[in-house]
Amino acid sequence: MSDSMVVEVMPKVGVINTGAGNLYSLNGCLRRIGFEPVTINSPADMQGKDISALIIPGQGRFGTVMSNLRNSGLDKLISDWYQGDKKVVGICVGLQVLFEESEEDPGIKGLGIFKGKVTRLKSPKQPMVGWADVDSEKNWLDQTTLYFVNSYGVTESEQAIASVTYGETFVAAIASNQLVAFQCHPEKSGIAGEEVLKQCLS
Amino acid sequence: MSELINKIEQGLKSRVIVCLDVAHGRVVKGVNFKGLQDMGDPVELAIRYQEQGADEIVFLDIKATLEQRANALETVTRVAENLSIPFTVGGGLNTYTDVAQFLNAGADKVALNSAAVKKPELIDQIAKGFGSQCVVVAVDLDQEIADGNYRVYINGGNTSTQLDAMQWLAEVEQRGAGEVLLTAMHRDGTGIGFDNELMGRVSKQLGIQVIASGGACKPEHFTETFLAGSDAALAAGMFHRGEFTVGQVKQELFNNGVAVRIEKQND
Repeated sequence: MSDSMVVEVMPKVGVINTGAGNLYSLNGCLRRIGFEPVTINSPADMQGKDISALIIPGQGRFGTVMSNLRNSGLDKLISDWYQGDKKVVGICVGLQVLFEESEEDPGIKGLGIFKGKVTRLKSPKQPMVGWADVDSEKNWLDQTTLYFVNSYGVTESEQAIASVTYGETFVAAIASNQLVAFQCHPEKSGIAGEEVLKQCLS
Repeated sequence: MSELINKIEQGLKSRVIVCLDVAHGRVVKGVNFKGLQDMGDPVELAIRYQEQGADEIVFLDIKATLEQRANALETVTRVAENLSIPFTVGGGLNTYTDVAQFLNAGADKVALNSAAVKKPELIDQIAKGFGSQCVVVAVDLDQEIADGNYRVYINGGNTSTQLDAMQWLAEVEQRGAGEVLLTAMHRDGTGIGFDNELMGRVSKQLGIQVIASGGACKPEHFTETFLAGSDAALAAGMFHRGEFTVGQVKQELFNNGVAVRIEKQND
């Protein structure tokens, strides 16, 4: 390798700490695709870090994640980044909190960046656990087999760019400005998932 | 065939799961339960099966006694950071605290067996605390000679309980399990294939997914169990002995019209 002397600095990605689960898998995945994860506990953690994208990870329930985001002021950070046309990636519940509310925790408001409600999905077996092909208008996502773990999801969204069918058809991914969010878990979806995440962060 | 067509319409792939036994931070193989043979590093072996196309890895028998706990947790974190497919940890998890420790260390799911039978409310507690998707209940079954019904066994299959299998499985679902791992003890190690009559029946009865276990020794056995209605199927020996790769099993399934995940590298 002739260029082995060049020290490559990995671009930093801010991983929002939703306080609802471990981040080992996501951080490991980010490193494998060439990004350095930085855990963001509050907006102050963003300062002087030269962070190129924000990720809202996919563990925990809607109400828990929302209350942690509000208490830490990270709710506003996410909205500001989206409005400022900077890169944001949401995963599973990290997609769901972008909407107005969820049947998982009625009465708790979501970030409300997008219109719509998260509902309990009519899966043949509940929870949905496993791999499914997504249909997408985007070449980089269409017919990719990704790992889904969910009981709740969004069945309609103006921002939808991909759908998946398990009993009923629901939204597999949305995109708007520089934000992309997934109902599935790309960080648990083998090489295909790594490529999908890389596409969104690069 | 109708079961298979239903499944394709439903959209989920049939999952092939590889099971590894872990003790003292290493993957081990028991030789007639006398002495354990070291098979290698859990992360390296899990990645090998991931590259072959495994959809999921299960680490069982983690031998997480209190003295071994820190070591076992460190192994789980290392796996979480390096594996890009889901993995389950089970064996020797007895309390809510045990489970919380392993989930916080990076496991995607835990498998409960004897502990669930001894303390069924543990299933409810974990489902509430972490979500149903984290809870796999492993059930070891054997057929009663007297009446032909299936009974639940615990303590590594050594202790018979009076629990009727179908009743217990219904209770497990009702308490919030996300999946069941069903081991037909009368098939385990026989190599004659999964007990598909049993797997199909349970899969139809339950509203949660059924992972078939016990009896597989060749790719055809996977086709048979998915045709019978299993949602996922698990094997250990046939892969560890190097007789077949996961890729060969996936190819066989694909050739028979079973919907499976094939990664680009396996094309």
